[in-house]
Amino acid sequence: MKTTLRELRAARGWSQGDLADALGVSRQSVNAIETGKYDPSLPLAFRIARLFGKRIENVFLDDG
Amino acid sequence: MTKITFKQANRRYLRLFVPLMIFYSVFCFAGPIMLRAMGEPPKWALGLVAVITGAPIAAVFWLMGRLLRETDEYTRTIQVDALLSGGAITLSVAVIWSFLELFQVVPRARFFPSMMMVGPGFFFAYGVSFGVQAARRRRGTAG
Repeated sequence: MKTTLRELRAARGWSQGDLADALGVSRQSVNAIETGKYDPSLPLAFRIARLFGKRIENVFLDDG
Repeated sequence: MTKITFKQANRRYLRLFVPLMIFYSVFCFAGPIMLRAMGEPPKWALGLVAVITGAPIAAVFWLMGRLLRETDEYTRTIQVDALLSGGAITLSVAVIWSFLELFQVVPRARFFPSMMMVGPGFFFAYGVSFGVQAARRRRGTAG
């Protein structure tokens, strides 16, 4: 799944560690989601979208 | 679902894991020394020392289960893969070794497949599997 997470995070000047702390997950999780190697669960995807004040479909793009 | 953060879960795990492993390592040697000091120890003493020595391993399995429930979902997927791989490798070796002993291909080893080797063997296989899984996921080749 494609995601705009890296751009959203960069716009706020956050490191992957900052975002991981805000979400309560590991930095590796953030990296895996950003690089498309891991698709987050629906609850985590909603938490990410909510954190950036976006709709879920604006953060995660269905590439299927 | 997860009430605590990844870092809190890891801290909670290590807070108990480290003392349990220290206790296990010390008691592996201290137990037999204590029994030798008793001369001819009664059966209950032998049983007690055996259970006390193995108990930290059982406690670590419980800890791993708790960590699995509390850690973040990405780490959980790696942990589950690693636990499965570690368990499969250790049990496969133990079962094959047992049959080799049964058919007298290899001499009876007093240390294997007792918990003396299966426990540490599992944790070693689990640790290696965890590293491999994490590296594969970083490269995007995990299947």
